[in-house]
Amino acid sequence: MSDSKTIKLNQVSVGYRDSRGKERIVKSNISLGAEKGELVALIGGNGIGKSTLLRTLAGFQPPINGDIIVSGKSIASYREKELATTLSFVSTEIIRVANLSVFEMVALGRFPHTNWFGKLTDEDRRIVNESIGMVGLNGYQSRPINQISDGERQRAMIARTLAQDTDIIVLDEPTAFLDVPNKYEVVSILHHLAREKNKTIIFSTHDLNIAVSEVDMIWLMLQDDVVQGAPEDLILNGQFPLLFQKSDLVFDMEKGDFRIKRRPKLTARLTGAGSELLWTQKALERNGLEMNNEADTEIEITVRSEPPCWQVRTTNGEKTFYSVYHLCRYLREL
Amino acid sequence: MEQANATKMKRSFRPEGSLFLLAVLVIVFFVLDLFIGSYHISLSNIIKALFAPGQVDSQLVTIVRQFRLPKALTALLAGAALSVAGLQMQTVFRNPLAGPYVLGISSGASLGVALLVLGAGSLFATGAFSVMGAWSVAGAAWIGAAVILMLILAVSARVKDIMTILILGILFSAATSAIVNIMQYFSSESMLKSFVVWTMGSLGSVTNAQLQVLLPGVLLGLFLAIISAKLLDAFLLGEDYARSMGMNVQLARVLIFISTCILAGSITAFCGPIGFIGIAVPHIVRMALKTARHQRLIPGTILLGSATMLFSDIVSQLPGSESTLPINSVTALLGIPVVIWIILRNKTVGALS
Repeated sequence: MSDSKTIKLNQVSVGYRDSRGKERIVKSNISLGAEKGELVALIGGNGIGKSTLLRTLAGFQPPINGDIIVSGKSIASYREKELATTLSFVSTEIIRVANLSVFEMVALGRFPHTNWFGKLTDEDRRIVNESIGMVGLNGYQSRPINQISDGERQRAMIARTLAQDTDIIVLDEPTAFLDVPNKYEVVSILHHLAREKNKTIIFSTHDLNIAVSEVDMIWLMLQDDVVQGAPEDLILNGQFPLLFQKSDLVFDMEKGDFRIKRRPKLTARLTGAGSELLWTQKALERNGLEMNNEADTEIEITVRSEPPCWQVRTTNGEKTFYSVYHLCRYLREL
Repeated sequence: MEQANATKMKRSFRPEGSLFLLAVLVIVFFVLDLFIGSYHISLSNIIKALFAPGQVDSQLVTIVRQFRLPKALTALLAGAALSVAGLQMQTVFRNPLAGPYVLGISSGASLGVALLVLGAGSLFATGAFSVMGAWSVAGAAWIGAAVILMLILAVSARVKDIMTILILGILFSAATSAIVNIMQYFSSESMLKSFVVWTMGSLGSVTNAQLQVLLPGVLLGLFLAIISAKLLDAFLLGEDYARSMGMNVQLARVLIFISTCILAGSITAFCGPIGFIGIAVPHIVRMALKTARHQRLIPGTILLGSATMLFSDIVSQLPGSESTLPINSVTALLGIPVVIWIILRNKTVGALS
């Protein structure tokens, strides 16, 4: 690792110290790094310590062991205000302050830059409006923060970090609670900001396929190890599939996502073409049928496209169905 | 850019208008409060008594200068102080139902005064309440308020649930009342009398000598509140965000709570516990000014708090020309509907913020 990294973790252990000074280490031996202009996704199962790691990065709690270097300097040596102009944070908490407008909320990001009374200069106002524009919320300035959608609120929270004007942005699960278009929207905004504004953006997420397709680097927290690399590197070297190794999930190399491991009870021969074939196959897998196109099988299914219908031949005879639903219901009764 | 300008215009125009209106309201109520009382004095005589005491009957001068003016000033200060204390607590605890009365801060102040009057009083065997000196009473109330505030703070660091904290506040109030009751049981008759008079305390019982402590106390508390407006803003998003924006959370909390203790403690020390102003006023101000920024909320809260308390005092004197209603009952009847409205508007208290 070169020293040019904006953020660098050296053999860090994260965790908590209770009031008696007893340590409870959540995750140890973390060595990671990220460069300027990179979008990094932190991925790991529930309870593995993602939030603890992000809170440690944000300076809320000191690392138990090891050191975190932020812009070339140990995080422990930063004063509050200095860190606040280097690194900004978005938590998982949904902010619902009544009577707080989007503009006022984003303007709070100017906190480390304004005077004791928090007076906004024209320059501050310009930066706040520009930040709001960068996340696509122009025209939302006077809307109350508790009366906009979850996706808009999350974008406003990102605008606040932009107003704070830091090189590094850390976000804890910014895509949680959002619908699919909003998840993509938020991640693509983060991607854009990393590239255009040359910021280092680190966010934790459970949306694996979005992370795999959008980020520059994944910090992968596994049961016994923490590794980093481009999503493709981690998939190709077999580390990414280790994520849920103790569960019932299998990694689908082609789709780049996990799915539930099936235990097929029956085998069937499936013929057909196009998307009808693809989706019929999915439905059959879900219903415990294994596709086998060579050996003799008891069930033979033919998919026809015009009009879509499904012909099933079993030892009981032949039947035709006009929806996947009715086909599956019949197959379940076999 | 046009949008930004429009927002700016809206922002800088309306709130100032509301603040001006509130200031007018405070002046009107202040004059009315001087005017209304058991003895009818004409407005011109009141003005003369205040500014040219030589021209009117000395008895009128005494009534206006020794009774009505201190009472109106006390109402002005009490309304501002309790409302700002409520605003600070609602923001720092991120709890819309927080207030000096509900969370037991007023009870803590009462306990402080009780310990002084009943405890220390019996030690030195000096019966009269006034002998204690206004400063020692205020100091006892501040310490009592601070102790309860520290307890609530310690609890709220561990428990995030709004309802739990409110219930604990009620329990703290009950506990302090119980201690006060036990002390009353063991204290001498003269002590008891002076303490009971204090608990029934009203705006009118504040003397000019006590006002000399109350006024600088409240002004100091309000000054601390005004200079901590930016810190309060940061607390809106919670402690994590405040810290991530470079605020020293511990220091900010100490500064704000010193202000809260001085404000709520001073008023409780001299007027007795007055409820519901502290909860209700900040909500109405937020609604009226349509903002959550404390730079605007604090002046608005000071003005509306004063106006409300002056109005309550006027109401308390209306029914009969001879007697006055207890001020605490009037503020409760004015404030409780607002609190009920806050709860109903949000359906569940847990979803409040």
